[in-house]
Formats: sequence, C-alpha cells, structure tokens
Amino acid sequence: MLKVKDIEKKQKNKNRTLRYIEQWILEKGKASDLINGILIRPTDDVESLAVTLNQAPLIAFDFNNFDDGISYSQVKILRKRVGYKGEIRAINVHIDHLQFIFRSGVDSYELLPQYKKYNEDYGIDFSVCYQAAENNVGLLEKHRIY
Amino acid sequence: MYKYDEVDVNFINQRSNQFTKQVERYFDNELDDDQFRSIRLRNGLYQELHAYMLRVAIPYGTINSKQLVQLAHIADKYDRGYGHFTTRQNIQFNWIKLSQITEIIADLAKVDMHAIQTSGKVMRNITADPLSGIREDEVADARPYCELIRQWFTVHPEFSWLPGKFKIAINGSERDEIGLQFHDLGLQVVLNDDNELGFSVYVGGGLGAAPMLAPNIKSFVPEQDILSYIESVLRVYNLIGQRSNDKRLRIKFLVKKLGIERFSELVERDWLASKGDDDIKLNAVKLNKIKQEFSLPIEPIKSITNNTTVDFNYSIWKNNNVISNKIDGYSIVYISLSQLGSAPGNIYSDQLIQLSKLASSYSLGEVRTTKKQDVVLPYVRNQDLYVLWQQLELFDLSSPHNSTLAHIVACPGADYCSLAKTESISVAQRVQQRLNENGILFETGELGLHISGCENSCAHHHVADIGLLGLNKGEENFYQITLGGGTKHKTVLGKKIGRAVSSDNVIDAVEKIVGVYIKNRKPDENFNQVFNRIGIQLFKESVYA
Ligand code: SF4
Repeated sequence: MLKVKDIEKKQKNKNRTLRYIEQWILEKGKASDLINGILIRPTDDVESLAVTLNQAPLIAFDFNNFDDGISYSQVKILRKRVGYKGEIRAINVHIDHLQFIFRSGVDSYELLPQYKKYNEDYGIDFSVCYQAAENNVGLLEKHRIY
Repeated sequence: MYKYDEVDVNFINQRSNQFTKQVERYFDNELDDDQFRSIRLRNGLYQELHAYMLRVAIPYGTINSKQLVQLAHIADKYDRGYGHFTTRQNIQFNWIKLSQITEIIADLAKVDMHAIQTSGKVMRNITADPLSGIREDEVADARPYCELIRQWFTVHPEFSWLPGKFKIAINGSERDEIGLQFHDLGLQVVLNDDNELGFSVYVGGGLGAAPMLAPNIKSFVPEQDILSYIESVLRVYNLIGQRSNDKRLRIKFLVKKLGIERFSELVERDWLASKGDDDIKLNAVKLNKIKQEFSLPIEPIKSITNNTTVDFNYSIWKNNNVISNKIDGYSIVYISLSQLGSAPGNIYSDQLIQLSKLASSYSLGEVRTTKKQDVVLPYVRNQDLYVLWQQLELFDLSSPHNSTLAHIVACPGADYCSLAKTESISVAQRVQQRLNENGILFETGELGLHISGCENSCAHHHVADIGLLGLNKGEENFYQITLGGGTKHKTVLGKKIGRAVSSDNVIDAVEKIVGVYIKNRKPDENFNQVFNRIGIQLFKESVYA
C-alpha cells in the first residue's frame, strides 16, 4: 500500500482555483494560471465530459457529504475509463473517509479544517485489504484469487 | 468450513481497533451524531428503543462450536443472557451498552467473528441456502462464491457509501428456498449449454412498503467474470441511484424508474468496458483452492439400525425436523428456536452452549442458521439421531414443529425495535396459544406464519403462507393479512386478503384462515397447495363474514 505521505507528495498544483465545468470552459482561454481546476458535481457524467476533462490539469471531487459515496465511482471512471492523466484531488475530506480516498485513485487530498490536529496516519488503520484498487495491489498472494 | 488465516484475523482486529478510536472520538464530541450513526451502523450497531442493538454477522449462515460458546459469553456478560437469530441468518443482541461495545467487538474478533456491514448503506452480510453443499439437487455449492464475495465486498474502496442498503443472496440449488428474488442482487448458479458454470443474475428485489420481485437482467455471466458484473451493477446504482428521498433509496426503485431493459443496458455497457480488467477476473486455479476449503467433511457410511425402543415424541420430531443428507448414512437436523411462549429466534446462553456441545459431538462442530430463525446441524450420523434428540429435550431445543404453524417467524417488533408500528412477538404467542387450546397447533402440517411490526418487513411476511404486517391507524393497531406467498421453488409474493384487521381481531382471523385450510385440504396437501387450488375467495369470506 502507498503511505499517506506518498499521496500528498503527488500534489502538483499547489495553488488551485476550482470552477464547475461550464464556467471553466468559459474562462479557459482568458483565465489566469490560478484557475486551473474543474470541480465535479455529483450530477456530472464524467464519461461523457471526457474531452473537456482531459484538457484540465486538475480535477477535484468534493467529499464533504459524509454519507455520499458517488465520487468514488466518478473517480474510478475518470481514471480508468477516461484515462485522465492529470491530478485528481479530493477536497473537504473527512478523516474517516481517508482509507477509501486513499485507495480510490486520487493523487492528493485536502482534509476538512477540523481534522488538522490529527496525525496524518490516523485514518490509515489497515495493513491488509481484500481488493485490488488504484493505490494497492489488493489481497496478499494467498488471498488473491482474482 | 472456511477457516480464517492471518490476513482475515489481522483485518478484523484492525477494523476493531479503528472502531474503538471512532467510539472514543464520539465520546469526545469529535464526531457528531449523524456521522457516528453512519459509522456505527457500518459496524452493526443500532440505537433502539431501550438500548443499543448489535447485529453480529454469520456469513452465509455458517457458524462453529467455538463461536457459539463466545456468543453465549457475550449474551451473559453484556446482554441479558440471550441473543436473537434474525431472518437474515445473523444473530443480534438487544441490550448493549455503548460503553462496552469495543470490548464486545474485541471478544468477537477472538473467535473470527465481527459485525462489519451488518447494517448501514453498504453491501450487507451475504445469505445462502443453509443446506448449501448437502443438497441433492445442487448445480454447485454456493458457499465458496459467498466467501469470495464476502471478502471482495468487505470495506470495498468504491462501494462502501451506497445510496441504500444492498443485500446479496446466492443459490446453488434448483430449488429456491432463500428468496433469491427479494434481494437487491440474487445470483443463481447455473450451467450453460456447454456445461460451463456461471450465474443468472436478478437485480432489484426487495420487500418493504413497495415489495418487488427482482427481474432477471442477465441469464448467464461466466463464473470468472462475476465480480466485474456485480461491480457494474453497483457502479450504475452508485452513480445514478436516488439519494435524496429516504423512501426510495434501494436499487429496486432505480430498476423500476429506468425499466428493466434500460437498466440492464447501462450495466452491460459498464461491464463491457471493465470485464477485461485482470484485477477483477477470477483465477481458476485459485478459485478451486477456495472451493476445496468447502469440500464436504463426511463420506458415505453404512447406517447401523438402532434397536432402541423409540418413543412417540421422537417419531414426531424425526418426521418434522430431520431430512436426509445427500451423503449416505447422514441426516440434516433442524432445531427450532420458536418455542411456545417465547420470542421466535431467541436463544439463551445455556442453549447456545448446549448447541455448541451437540454440534461438536454430532455434527463436526458446524451449525447453520436459517432465514426462519432456526438452526441446522448439517452432518448428523443416522445412528446418533435418537441420542441427539434426547439431549435436545433436556434444553428445550427439541420442538418438533419445523415448518408447522407452531414455528412462527416474527421480527422483534415494538418490544425492541424503534421503527415498529405494532408488536409482533405477542401476536405470535397469542396465535400459538389459541391454536394450542383448540388442539390444531400441531395438526397444520407445513404452514408458515410470518409477522412484521412495520413495513420494513424484517420477518419477510410477503413471502409467507400467512403474512401479517403491523400498521397504525390513529391510536389503534391493525394487521394487514397476505396469503399464499412463498419461497419454495421460486419467490412468490402473497396476496392481500382485504382491509387490515384490528389487533383484537387478528387472532380470530388467523384461526379462521387456518380453519378454511384444514377443511379444504386433501391428504398430503400443504397450505400453499390448497391456496393455489382454491384461491383467495373462501379465505376472504371467512375472515370478513
Ligand atoms: S419489521 Fe419493522 S418493527 Fe420489525 S424489526 Fe424490522 S424495522 Fe423493526
């Protein structure tokens, strides 16, 4: 498994300004360098937006809603199916989601401010897991039956 | 039986440590009630009327002697000396203190047990036919697939925060006794024309307020591709399933909204794009390894005929509660936990310990749980049946009424459950008392009565011969009656008989229904056969006369 630190290091776009996709298209040509990212909404169909998304250096997903896991599938599609090569950022992350965020295929994440006091390894409770995922090879050989 | 290895043990210990930290954060006010609710549910912990309730997973209903002893310990140390087997093959404890939860979870982990994903908006504990592996008519044993899928869905990185709960069942037999079509996802093991193993896939079933039988969305998915296919079903659900309306969260509403064809199309499209992914293809050699873990631990033996003078009660018990195993010389024994006068599914700690001893002595230490809230000893030598029965007698575990009306399925209802509209357990007790007084309780033959205390339908009343659903109208309690449901060969939803009857009249109504059945049955007919032959009208007339 990757360690949390490895994930954070992959953060390429230190300063970021995010726009929803329509706004990003409008501002693209004239925008300052700071406006570099697209913020995906739960209702955006990532696959059908592939052409535009592939032009953005940074794509962000908002994980503020504690109970909503739609972004995990959106990230998966963006990485696997759209083949997006830029940086994928998870924003407004709850520490209890970190173990999922970590394996979802994002490159970098920003915790919500209330979790600043936690040690960065806090959310990584598992040294083993059952599935292959973006950032880990999944089951140990003995368990890996697929 | 599957045995946990180091990885599994590590995993549940780490999960237990994680939950301990989360409980501490809740006590320190660092997690709010909603966040903690979401976390505790994923760890099987509900907040009920009088206390917390912990639902412990019994994956595909298989449990061993050692685990039963630990459950007895938990019942005594942390609860009121008993547990309650559920209709989804799990066991729950109704009087749990939050301050002790992490200790309990740690105690469970000592015997390879846990409460992971027994509730919450996740893939829930997987269910299977309790007779998996020992049925004559099986295409294949469902348990290796259950275990494989259990591992795969445990804390899944993509599908752990779904729109709603997601229940999976797998059936390997040609008979469907697990109600495949009332699950969110039902997998039927099948062979294709080339004799290759695979699955026929049903999606979008569920009981509750809007009962729906899952339609078949794919007649054959090859064995090696089953995980990618399930992922595609879940991905479509996760991406476009309803999240805002609490009453329409289950996948059945999505299937209904899109239509079966459109839904299947979306799944197929996703699957075509992902099934080639090596990470998710089953490897035949390793799959065989897991199948070997479930190979039968018994071989045919010659039955020795006992010359014991057998008594009448033993004969009734044997007739109702014992069937033959597919391996010569062995039987399968049903132990009913629906005693007269007690809550269906309840089991006391001394009974758990006795069950554990009997399983060790007579069934190679293995016990299975069923959706009818009873338990099964799968590997009993025919020659041991009489001695076993004598032992069961000592601990009130020998009720000879498997599948008869003396064996009622009832949810906890208003006695324990915070969602309940009405009581369930007391109705079960009143029905049994009345029919016992009239001398017909043990004369009904195969007849199932299921009672749910609200529309969540935990007692599966839609698929019972006689189903009762508790409703509130103003101050008064009513029960809606359905007849003719079942899950014998395929899943059939019961038909509503008419307007709901009041709590005062419900026992009379059940008695009248049973009366019509007994009057009209031909020799060897059960309720279901009578109902299918004569229809609903006579029942209706007698109840509303
Ligand atoms: S059916 Fe309703 S009352 Fe009964 S256990 Fe389920 S939620 Fe509670």
